[in-house]
Amino acid sequence: MDTKRECYLLLLAGAVLLAGVLAVSLVGGAPDYRALVTAAGLALAWPVAHFALRRAGHLGDGLLLPLAAVLTALGLIMVFRLKPGLFMVQALWAALGLAAFLGSAFFFRQAERWSEYKYFWGLAGIALLLATALFGVDIGGNKNWLFIGPVHFQPSEFAKLFIVLFLAAYLNERREVLTFATRRYGPLILPQPRILAPLLAVWGLAMLMLVGQRDLGAALLYFGTATVMIYLASGRAGYLLWGAGMFLVGSVLAYTLYPHVRARIDIWLDPWADPSGRAYQVVQSLFALGSGGALGSGLGYGFPGLVPEVHTDFIFAAIGEELGLAGAGAVMMLYILLVYRAFRAALLAPSPFRALLAGGLAVLLGLQVLVIVGGVTKFLPLTGVTLPLVSYGGSSVVATFILLGMVLAMSEKRPTDA
Amino acid sequence: MLDSLRASIRRTAFALLGLLAALFLYLSYIQVIQSDFLAGHPLNRRTAAAAEKVERGTVFDRRGEKLAYSEKDGDGRYVRHYPYGAMAAHVVGYSSPRYGQSGVESAFNGELSGMTNPERRFGPITGLWTAKAGNSVTLTLDGELQETAYRALGNRRGAVVAIAPRSGAVLVMVSRPAFEPDAVDDDWKEIVGAAGSPLLNRATQGLYPPGSTLKVLVAEAALTEKMTDNRKTYECQGSFKIGPDYVLHEANNKAHGKVGLEEALAVSCNVTFGRLSLELGRSRMAKAFDRFAFARPLGGDFAEASSRLPDFGRLGDGDLAQTGIGQGSLLVTPLRMAMLAAAFADRGTMLKPFLVSRVTAPDGSALRQFGTVEFAAATSPATAAEVNRMMQQVVSGGTGYAARIAGVKVAGKTGTAENPHGAPHAWFIGFAPADEPEIAVAVVVENGGAGGEEAAPIARQIMARALR
Repeated sequence: MDTKRECYLLLLAGAVLLAGVLAVSLVGGAPDYRALVTAAGLALAWPVAHFALRRAGHLGDGLLLPLAAVLTALGLIMVFRLKPGLFMVQALWAALGLAAFLGSAFFFRQAERWSEYKYFWGLAGIALLLATALFGVDIGGNKNWLFIGPVHFQPSEFAKLFIVLFLAAYLNERREVLTFATRRYGPLILPQPRILAPLLAVWGLAMLMLVGQRDLGAALLYFGTATVMIYLASGRAGYLLWGAGMFLVGSVLAYTLYPHVRARIDIWLDPWADPSGRAYQVVQSLFALGSGGALGSGLGYGFPGLVPEVHTDFIFAAIGEELGLAGAGAVMMLYILLVYRAFRAALLAPSPFRALLAGGLAVLLGLQVLVIVGGVTKFLPLTGVTLPLVSYGGSSVVATFILLGMVLAMSEKRPTDA
Repeated sequence: MLDSLRASIRRTAFALLGLLAALFLYLSYIQVIQSDFLAGHPLNRRTAAAAEKVERGTVFDRRGEKLAYSEKDGDGRYVRHYPYGAMAAHVVGYSSPRYGQSGVESAFNGELSGMTNPERRFGPITGLWTAKAGNSVTLTLDGELQETAYRALGNRRGAVVAIAPRSGAVLVMVSRPAFEPDAVDDDWKEIVGAAGSPLLNRATQGLYPPGSTLKVLVAEAALTEKMTDNRKTYECQGSFKIGPDYVLHEANNKAHGKVGLEEALAVSCNVTFGRLSLELGRSRMAKAFDRFAFARPLGGDFAEASSRLPDFGRLGDGDLAQTGIGQGSLLVTPLRMAMLAAAFADRGTMLKPFLVSRVTAPDGSALRQFGTVEFAAATSPATAAEVNRMMQQVVSGGTGYAARIAGVKVAGKTGTAENPHGAPHAWFIGFAPADEPEIAVAVVVENGGAGGEEAAPIARQIMARALR
């Protein structure tokens, strides 16, 4: 990848951001210079980040940052459109995210070194989650917020990175045991209990999130990612069966024990049974997407405000309404490319640990997009997670940038590795 | 070692990317195939919300008074106002984001909303031709006369229609009970559930037996078919036996004695007109209704209930005589009776009534004009003049005396229509001045009693006001 192209693509992403912010502010009457200067600053920061990366000799995948920048640009445009008052905050988060991306990209160059502290990462992740479970504050139905003085954030966004890092290191060390030390009973394989332990631990963690914080989406992501990572490490599809079985048990338990889980499933099965009541949000989201049609209403000319939580979990519906399938499909393509590049990094990684880590991150990102876009379009039952980089919310943006920085580091093929 | 890891990564990548691609396809299905269903779903408030962003056109009366206009509220949304309120509620109609439109608001919704070209499929480009404000509509209605008629009808149920006989322009269209079009959104349930169905426009959708007002039609038919002239007389003994078991009665069984056609109309003699109907017979009676186009739909500006005419071919003698005095199974709307009166006022030509005279763009330029259109060549000018003269006699020396206006020749006919819902409906149709007609009216007061006492004074007030 020649680095000039990365720079061009980033300039293009900047142009998208500026044009979008200008279009939205012109619909409102006069151009909003404060927002435009902020956008210009960010558009400038991306090429600067590119130079910082390449001057320092980083050889990571040149497509990751441009893809992330376009998605961030679209997210900022939509936040500016939907909640103009939150634009500056979100732009600040995008800038911090960029810094975190650079930091993460350099920090994880020595991934093997940090992997030696795997138990620290794992415990840190669990501690973050436990802290939320104990001291968490309920915002918008999910009790997954933590307040530290004036700063409030969602620890589960960061904890999932720690867990993936821990799992990659832990599973890498035990790959042989996972693959061979099993007993077979027909199609089922039974590994030794101490190998099954991490899977059980993550499953327990997921159930804790479900029970303690009603955070269905995060629980699904953690468990799904962990299961797939164990499959990656072992190459045994049997572990997927185990995961699916445990997921089923958890789902049935949740369905019978928790009315809100039951409601989500019922809504998914037939949203038109109660379109003005329980299924209101999903039905409104479908209305937004359908009204947008192929080309959309145009930025500022739709009515995405009719969809509750449209600037966070349901931002994809707003994109579908105002930019149509053209815009929503473009966002889908961007994610597909991003997930593809992450998998590509995993496939080309020089060591099993790096391959596992990049693969785990790719799965995490891909699952998150699948879960939220699927939920908003009624493809899957709705579970509240953010649309990475696009939804309003600092924790999610920064955490996703850290994730992409890790992928960038994993994608690096240094001369010494060759 | 790395190879087996890569194999499982590849499989996982295929599976996950495949799922994302399937989601992409599903999204396309939602946004393209399901688009019409979702965009047009009644629970989707976007159409109404879009309407709130556009300044809906104004509805003016013939003098330029506002009957309906839109104004921005505190939140920057357009809200509809109706200065004439309940007085013009049926004819102007309402426009509600929740309950749709009625009246002119409905018939001219495309023009008023400025969305005559709802091509949302072109996406943002539609902004190039969708209007920021709707077109305005000017009615032929006269706000002052409308108010006079509304007040004259008072709290009685019924309807008033007034037409300018020489153009077909509708001057008045009142229906009571009425509703407040401003309150449709807030009080919908009460309005819909209220006694007397206030949403019903009785002027165009109320079906009533016309009673004796129909006798002008039978008189016209008798003259046209040369069954009678003014010299021929009929004997009225208060009742008229038809066949073995049917008797047609006069009101109060009053015998009119020897009467000619003119006097029979003036005193509204049932016996004479029953006899005339029998003499005319089924097919000539049917032809008369046909000449005045009772069964032909008006179309256009009105949501009209079609007249219920008897099946003349199967009518027994008793029922034929009943039809001749406006009873039996015959049901018509006040609008049609006003058209009938207007036809005799204007040389026997029936004009198509119209309510909207022009549509103007927000910049004031005229987009569409509407004018006089002939609806039916009902009768000859000579016959029309003859019936006109007889109708003047009804007012000057007959049952319609309550419609007299000093210094003005008024023509008219009263009706007292028996019906299964209680007291008879009071009717009056007429026009004035009889030799230079400017206004033709039809008034019906549901269960009001005698037409000469209940309906004629209302018609008088409206005609007097119009000629002032």
